[in-house]
Amino acid sequence: MKSLREVLDNKLTGLHYGNRILLPFGAHVLKAVVENDIVMDFSNAKKGAAYNITRDFTELYFYDYRDLSEVVTEYETIKLVCVENGKDVFTLSNHVKIALYLKEKHILEIEELNDDILFLE
Amino acid sequence: MINKFTRIKLVLLLLLPLDIISAFSNSGELQSVQHALEESHNLPSAIMVLPFVLLLIAIATGPIFYHHFWEKNYPKISMALGSLTVIYYLVILEDTHSLLHTFAEYLSFIALLASLFIASGGILIKVDRKATPALNSFILLFGAVIANIIGTTGASMLLIRPFMKINKDNIKPYHIIFFIFIVSNIGGALTPIGDPPLFLGFLRGIDFFWFVENVWYIWLPTVLIVITIFYLVDSRNPGIDNENQYSGKIEFSGLKNIGYLLIILISVFIDPGVMDWVPSLAPLPFGIREIIMFSVCYFAYKSADRRILEANEFDFEPIKEVAYLFVGIFATMIPALQLIAYEANVLGDEIGVGDFYWATGILSGFLDNAPTYLNFLSAELGKFGLDINMKLQVHQFQMEHVIYLQAISVAAVFFGAMTYIGNGPNFMVKAISERAGVKMPTFFAYMVKYSIPILIPIFIVVWLVFFNGHA
Repeated sequence: MKSLREVLDNKLTGLHYGNRILLPFGAHVLKAVVENDIVMDFSNAKKGAAYNITRDFTELYFYDYRDLSEVVTEYETIKLVCVENGKDVFTLSNHVKIALYLKEKHILEIEELNDDILFLE
Repeated sequence: MINKFTRIKLVLLLLLPLDIISAFSNSGELQSVQHALEESHNLPSAIMVLPFVLLLIAIATGPIFYHHFWEKNYPKISMALGSLTVIYYLVILEDTHSLLHTFAEYLSFIALLASLFIASGGILIKVDRKATPALNSFILLFGAVIANIIGTTGASMLLIRPFMKINKDNIKPYHIIFFIFIVSNIGGALTPIGDPPLFLGFLRGIDFFWFVENVWYIWLPTVLIVITIFYLVDSRNPGIDNENQYSGKIEFSGLKNIGYLLIILISVFIDPGVMDWVPSLAPLPFGIREIIMFSVCYFAYKSADRRILEANEFDFEPIKEVAYLFVGIFATMIPALQLIAYEANVLGDEIGVGDFYWATGILSGFLDNAPTYLNFLSAELGKFGLDINMKLQVHQFQMEHVIYLQAISVAAVFFGAMTYIGNGPNFMVKAISERAGVKMPTFFAYMVKYSIPILIPIFIVVWLVFFNGHA
């Protein structure tokens, strides 16, 4: 599996299908924002969101949405705070903020959040 | 002198459909109004206020209690309720004049809001300074002032992100809530551009500068008191010591959109009623002003810097929502406006300035303040036997009954801060904050913890000082 840094530096893309997102790296998700929903419950209780790290990717389900592409418009993003799998979650410098852009043909563009886009952990 | 009970009933009469009031009332005077209304064949049936009431209830409850259903279906609900009124006026009353007049007013309203929204969405302000209570208070004061130039919507869109960014290390919900109080609401009481209710008043014939001339001495102490409270609260926030270096720079991007904002501001005056040389496009339901504003929408969006739109997470949804909801509001409020004006005419002597202040304020807090303002403007004009549809009579009213117009103008704008749904920008600011990861209080927590304990005492003082005791 690719590393988070490798994905960001090489502008590698993920995938999105309905309410499911596939990230081409392994990561623990600490916080997500879709529209104005702040999701911090990843307890897999069929509300909020849940993620699963497989051998090849990380998949993320948003239970409150049927199709994310219907609600996340052209200039909007899904924002995540995540920590690469294997790194220390408790070291704040390992927390990475990323923006996910939902593009056509299920392509998911992944960018590290720049200083312009406001996202407070 | 009328007793307290009668006063309460009179205020209720302004708040609720006549049928409901009369059903629970044994007052002879109220029944006589009902009787007179039924006899008046030019007036719509009181039952036709129901679509308006239903729509306002839906707007108040939808985003909170059935969010996903509302998000998907609000255009259909608004259009369906609006259509009921349109069909009633076309088929039963055969009154096309009221409909066309309202449609023209709607186009002016949405042209202003959309152009301000889109033009300000293409501007990005970056402030690289350390947050202090003084700097935060200054930003709020600055926001209150520019809200009168670019609207509470424009000022909120422009300033909420830099305000959050400089406070990012220690942001608390109260930062956002005071921002909503001051920039998204109270600040915008000085010009018709400031807040939608005042713009509706301007369209009906109130002079552009009437508000700044007659409201500034209520606006200034209110803004300063709220900012002082913010300063005291913010000073008690211990903050987080960080070693960040600040350049002190303030950067503006998207400067050409400032030009677009100026065009919008100037175009407000391009109206045949304001400038003689401006041609009227009648019978078209719009004028040169609306053409300019809609053109600004197109060009401001097309020429906007993509990076700025991304940084602002620009989305048409908020303005689309306003456009759809206000089609329904403008249509369904036609009967309400006519009935309230009639009732106020009949009961005029017994409704005082304080009644108008509190009734306008309470409704503006829970419903949208723009239609509420128009309803009570209509009622005040009706009290003095004047007609809201006659610009000359509205002008006469602003000259002769200053305190009445002050009361509803101040109440509609100030009380919009009482809830998330009191004014359009409130919800937008809340949404922007949540998209940035700031957890905001719930609808009721906002009221119980912030707006009731902070704003209501201030609004009582405003009432005592400026409006109490005036018949």
